[in-house]
Amino acid sequence: MQTGRNSSDRNGTNAPSEYLTFTLGNEEYGIDILKVQEIRGYDPVTHIANAPEFIKGVINLRGVIVPIVDMRIKFKVGEPTYHEFTVVIIMNVLGRIIGMVVDGVSDVVALKAEQIKPAPEMGAALNTDYITGLGTVDDQMLILVDIEKLMSSEEMQVMDQSI
Amino acid sequence: MTQAQEIKPDIDLNQFNQVFFEECAEHLAEMEQILLALSNEEPDEEKLNAIFRAAHSIKGGAGIFGFQDMTVVTHVLESLLDRIRNHEIPFNAAMIDLFLEAGDVINMQLAGHRDDAGVNQDAVVRISRKLQQLIDSSDVRCERSDAVISVSSPSSDGSVPVLHRYELVFTPDPDIFRRGVRIEQLFRELQELGELSINAGLSSFPDLAGFDPETCTICWSFNLVSPASETVIRDIFEFVADEGQLKIRETSLAVANPDAETLGEATEESVEVSGKAASPALMGNRAYDRNELAPGAYGRRAGETESTLRVGVNKVDQLINQVGELVITQLMVSQSASALDPVQYENLHRSLQQLERTTRDLQQSVMSIRLVPISIVFSRFPRMVRELAAKLGKQVELKTVGDTTELDKGLIEKITDPLTHLVRNCLDHALEIPEERIAAGKERSGTITLRASQTGGRIVIDVIDDGAGLNRARILAKAAERGIPVSDAMSDEEVWQLIFSPGFSTADAVTDISGRGVGMDVVLRNVQSIGGRVQILSEPGQGTRVTISLPLTLAILDGLSVAVGDEKFIIPLNSIIESLQPAAGCLKTVNGKNVVHVRGDYIPIIPLHELFNLPARVTEADKGILVLIDVEGEKAAVLVDALLDEHQVVIKSIETNYRKVDGTAGATILGDGRVALILDVGSLLLMHKSG
Repeated sequence: MQTGRNSSDRNGTNAPSEYLTFTLGNEEYGIDILKVQEIRGYDPVTHIANAPEFIKGVINLRGVIVPIVDMRIKFKVGEPTYHEFTVVIIMNVLGRIIGMVVDGVSDVVALKAEQIKPAPEMGAALNTDYITGLGTVDDQMLILVDIEKLMSSEEMQVMDQSI
Repeated sequence: MTQAQEIKPDIDLNQFNQVFFEECAEHLAEMEQILLALSNEEPDEEKLNAIFRAAHSIKGGAGIFGFQDMTVVTHVLESLLDRIRNHEIPFNAAMIDLFLEAGDVINMQLAGHRDDAGVNQDAVVRISRKLQQLIDSSDVRCERSDAVISVSSPSSDGSVPVLHRYELVFTPDPDIFRRGVRIEQLFRELQELGELSINAGLSSFPDLAGFDPETCTICWSFNLVSPASETVIRDIFEFVADEGQLKIRETSLAVANPDAETLGEATEESVEVSGKAASPALMGNRAYDRNELAPGAYGRRAGETESTLRVGVNKVDQLINQVGELVITQLMVSQSASALDPVQYENLHRSLQQLERTTRDLQQSVMSIRLVPISIVFSRFPRMVRELAAKLGKQVELKTVGDTTELDKGLIEKITDPLTHLVRNCLDHALEIPEERIAAGKERSGTITLRASQTGGRIVIDVIDDGAGLNRARILAKAAERGIPVSDAMSDEEVWQLIFSPGFSTADAVTDISGRGVGMDVVLRNVQSIGGRVQILSEPGQGTRVTISLPLTLAILDGLSVAVGDEKFIIPLNSIIESLQPAAGCLKTVNGKNVVHVRGDYIPIIPLHELFNLPARVTEADKGILVLIDVEGEKAAVLVDALLDEHQVVIKSIETNYRKVDGTAGATILGDGRVALILDVGSLLLMHKSG
């Protein structure tokens, strides 16, 4: 179940899938690298009226209007500060381009299916529904996020639910 | 369907199929349009030719692309049309309906191939048989009339063709072979006109030593017996013979012989001749048409003289986007350069001005690519009205005004359904049956007018009928029934708005035309989704006018940028009446809501910072600036901190990557590269009223 979305399973081989790891506060997260379009610094955003607090606003990404969400506010981890080291991961999720503010991007790691364990019912700030599993790299735990499921969820309010 | 697949060659024809489908649909639409315009009277040759061409093009295309089943109906149709065109079969009004039906069947087959939908083969067979019957019946008639051919035929208009005998001498210029003229083709065309004999001679004696086979030293003389006039013959030589190279002499006149027996013989001959020769020359129904370049000639639509290019919409959109980027970049450069000393950098500033002009022009040209005339939408209604009117037993005349009004292709697609619905409503509900109309002192036949025009920055489309008008009492009663709060004191305008409520219908009976209550609310929603508004004007007994106003284009907008706190917003210029700094004395409150008194009007104030929860520098109306906006006659004053600049902005969708934001109509990118939201004044007003 947890590894169902893993590309290694899909291909029927045991090739590792690659994850981009980033930090939110003290926690280390990972998302499927294939969903990542680019990584950039934090530019001032244009606020959107009456949007939830964690939706910082929209930016102009080479002519495309891209919404920016701050995961630190959404999951109440870390301090939502914005300085020259603040990083925005631009992702391509379900045909949409969405920017995600994180505290920092650390690495790209390859994980084999056996390195990924199912997530316990509680623990992370994130609802377990959006977690594909927990990965272990050099004794460090990675929370693997199903970014498609998360971004299309109602609680993120990024997409119109009617679509 | 399977048949078509079998025939398909190895190479993938799919990419071409799309082109065929599009063209085929166009031909069908054209055919339908002409048929509807015929309205029972004897069609002129031009129109018949046009229908024939459409049918022929479809048949040809279908054959090439391997849709053999589609050629069946088109072939019979074509044969029938050909006979009508040659006056072998008299035209009658019932044929219009038959042709329309045939068009529908072809359309169905087309849809079948395009969308892999099923094809009703019964219908195909049925219509083919009906058409064939007409052809067969005419054959019988022809045979029967053979006996009396000398009296009534060959030309049904009564004039017996007169045969002329011509002597032609054609002395071409020596260069004629080098110019690539095909003499034999010329002979063949002459031969088609009638009985021809040719003699060749030498125009000048060639020097045998220096003989050049490419130099023409031959002259021809022809003897032609034909009913055709001299002009027809000259036409054949038009591109070949220069002035003076062709001499035509009419030698003797083969006058119709009064002797009955020989007359029969003579006319028989002339029937044959006129059948295969005279009509092609006069009507141009051959597969190759000498006059091909002329508008209206074979395979061409009348009036289409300029050449066109078929381009995918996504390519055009990409172009528009890129030009939009260019405009933004140009603004950015201009903004950076404005800090530079104008004297020292005079040349730079001049070049930048030039750049600005050019980019604006470029943008406008690119935008105009997407514009298409509204006649594309309007042209589908005559058929619908005709059929519905017949079904409902009403007499309806449809008028269209402003067919050439151009609007964005995207808008055209979205406006079709709402307009269709409105026209159906007119037919079903608004217009009365002839008896009622006469009783009401009106003409028997009702009128529906579709009118498109461009006023200011918007396209206005009116759907006007001269029917019974909206029934105020009934709407109020129905609304009350549905639990919508109403009162008799409501103004007419407010009452009319009620019909836009979801599920609202005053129809007593649900028909298959309308009255299911999924109606006006869908119209309103569709129109609103493209930034349009709907307005109703109705007079009992006089009729109803529904006005749809749309933005000119979905991609560009003239706007005024305003500041609220740290944010900038764009207000569409076409909704702004004026902006003012109110004196404290002009500000009043009504039920705790602020209004401003402007020249006798009390106008509600919409504080933008409150609506959007923004930290504003100005919260008191008398310290800020009020921008008076007009929303379809309703006024409001938007309170902002400051007015900044006037821009032409490229509208970007927020919804591409995010969701709809209330009170906005999209976003744009300003000269500094930042995003600014474009306000939708209509929904601002709604937000203000509800909040």
